[in-house]
Amino acid sequence: MTTHTFDYDLIVIGSGAGGSVAATIAAREGLRVAIVEESILGGDSSNWGDVPTKALLHTAHLYDETKRGDRFGLRTTSLGYNYPSIRAWKEKVVKQTGVGDNKKFYEDQGITVFMGKAHFLTPHEITVNRRHLSGHRFLIATGSEWIAPNIQGLSDVTYFTPRTILETIRPPKSLAILGGSRYGVEIADLMAIFGTKVYIIEEKSRLLPEFEKEVGDYMSAVLGARKEITVLTGSRTLSVSKEGASHRVLFTRGGAQKHVKVDAIMIATDYRPNVDIGLNNALVKYSEDGIPTDKYLRTNVKHIYAAGDVLGKRQDTHAALIESRVAAHNIIGAATMVPDYVAMPKVVFSSPEVAQVGLTEQEARRTHSHVRRAVTPLHIVARSNVSGQKDGFIKLVADKQGVIIGGVVVGPHATEIIHEISLAVRYRLTAQQLATTPHVFLSWAEAMRVTAQKIIGANS
Amino acid sequence: METGGTHIIKRHRRHGIEAFSKDKLQKSVVAACLSAGAHHGQAELVAKHVADAVEEWLEDRPEVTSSDLRLATAKQLKKYHADAAYLYEQHRMTI
Repeated sequence: MTTHTFDYDLIVIGSGAGGSVAATIAAREGLRVAIVEESILGGDSSNWGDVPTKALLHTAHLYDETKRGDRFGLRTTSLGYNYPSIRAWKEKVVKQTGVGDNKKFYEDQGITVFMGKAHFLTPHEITVNRRHLSGHRFLIATGSEWIAPNIQGLSDVTYFTPRTILETIRPPKSLAILGGSRYGVEIADLMAIFGTKVYIIEEKSRLLPEFEKEVGDYMSAVLGARKEITVLTGSRTLSVSKEGASHRVLFTRGGAQKHVKVDAIMIATDYRPNVDIGLNNALVKYSEDGIPTDKYLRTNVKHIYAAGDVLGKRQDTHAALIESRVAAHNIIGAATMVPDYVAMPKVVFSSPEVAQVGLTEQEARRTHSHVRRAVTPLHIVARSNVSGQKDGFIKLVADKQGVIIGGVVVGPHATEIIHEISLAVRYRLTAQQLATTPHVFLSWAEAMRVTAQKIIGANS
Repeated sequence: METGGTHIIKRHRRHGIEAFSKDKLQKSVVAACLSAGAHHGQAELVAKHVADAVEEWLEDRPEVTSSDLRLATAKQLKKYHADAAYLYEQHRMTI
C-alpha cells in the first residue's frame, strides 16, 4: 500500500481568529503545523479591526463622559485631547496583544510560519513565494475584505473603510458613512465624539438592520439626537463626486434627491470573502459569496476545512474563534463537533452599547405558535439614577413555557450583560429562573430580573 | 521570453514552468475574440484591457497554474465579449 508523506499534518491559511486558534490547538496535540499569512500575523481583528477600534472607542467614551462631568460637580472646562497621542495609545494596545507581526509567538508553540500569499496548486499542495508545501489537511481562514459598492463616481475618489479610517492622522471635519451596520455605527460614534460632523446614509429603514427592529429604531433616534450626527435611513446613495477639496454625495430619500458635502467618505456596506487562492486547483467548491461547508466545517474536499469570514457570513470575532476550535477538534480526531451558533451574541461597542443573542421577536413568531416578550427601559433601575445615564432597554423573548429564546440589551455594559441571556438561551433557562436569581442592587442587570418578572406576570 | 515575474505551472506539470508572458496572453485573447467574430480592432483593444487586468491580478502572485491564468483571463474577457470568454475558457487556448 502506498503511504503518503506530507510536509505538514495541517496547513492553516490565515493567522486571524479563524486560523490561529486551530493552529495552536493542533500543534499542542503534536501535529506538524504550518501557518501562512499574507499580511500581518494576527489577522484583521488584532491589527485593524476589533482591537484598535475598541481601543479608540474606549478613549472616545472616556472623553465624552468626562466632558459631561459638570453635572456631577466635576470641572471640565480645560478638558481636551491630542489625537496623535490617542493613535499612539491605539498602536500600543495592538502591539500589546503580542500577536501582531510576532513570528516567535507561533514558533514557540511549534508552528512553522510562512509569510506570503498561499495559493493552491493541487488538493494537497500550496505554493507560498514559489515554495511548495504539502499538507495532509488544510484549514482556510483567509477572512474577508471591504469592497466598494457599485456607486457612480466612487472609483474616482479616495474613501475610507472601517479599517483604513483608524489610521487617519486626525478625524475629518465631516464624514459621510455609507452603511448603517454596526461598523458604520461604531465609527460614527467615534468620529462624532472627536468633533466630526457625521452623516450615516443607510438604505434600509433603520440603523443596524441586522439587529432587532426596536434596536435599530432606538439607535437611529439616540444617535440622530446628537447634533454631530445626522441619520439618513431609507436613503440610497446615487453618486459621489469631488468638489474642490470636498466630496458631494448625492442620494435619494423619500422620493427626493438630496446631497451632502463632506470632507471624507467611508464605505461600510459590502465585503467579499477572500476566496481567490487557487481553490479550483484544490477542487474546492466556492463562489464570490464564500466557501460552503458541512456542519463540521469541511468543504466538499473532505481534508480541507474553512472557518471565519471566508465562509461568507461576516460575524463577530468570537464566532470565528469558536469555528477555529471546532475545526481543530474535527481535524485532530473524528469530525464530531459542530459550532453552536444558537447562543452567539452579536454586539456593537457604541455608546450606548448594543448586544443581541438568540431569536429576535420576529424570528420567534415565525417558528413558535406562542411567544412571550417584555421590555424594560433602563431608566427605571436604581443604577440609572446614580450614574445619570438614562438611555437603553432590555428585551427578553420567551416561548410558551417561558424558556428564554432570545434577548437584546441596549445601554451601558450591554456587551457584558448579554452573557446572562446567552447562558439562558444556551441552557434553556426560563424567565422564572432568571427572575428568581438574585441580581445585585444598583447593577444594570437588575433590569434583567424586572424583564423576566414581566414575562412571568404577562402569562398569569 | 518576457519576464513578467509570475511563474506559470503548466498543465500536468510535465510541461514544466514558464514565466508569464503578457504578450503571449494578449495574442491568445485576440485569437479568441477573432474566433468569436469580433473585428480585428476590437479584438486588439479588448485584449489589451484584459491583459492589463490579468497582469494586475498577477502582481502579488509569484506562482499560479495555467488553469488559474485561463480562468482569470476568461473572467476579465467576459466583461467585454462573453462569447470569446466562453471559447477561451472551454477550448484551453495556448498560454
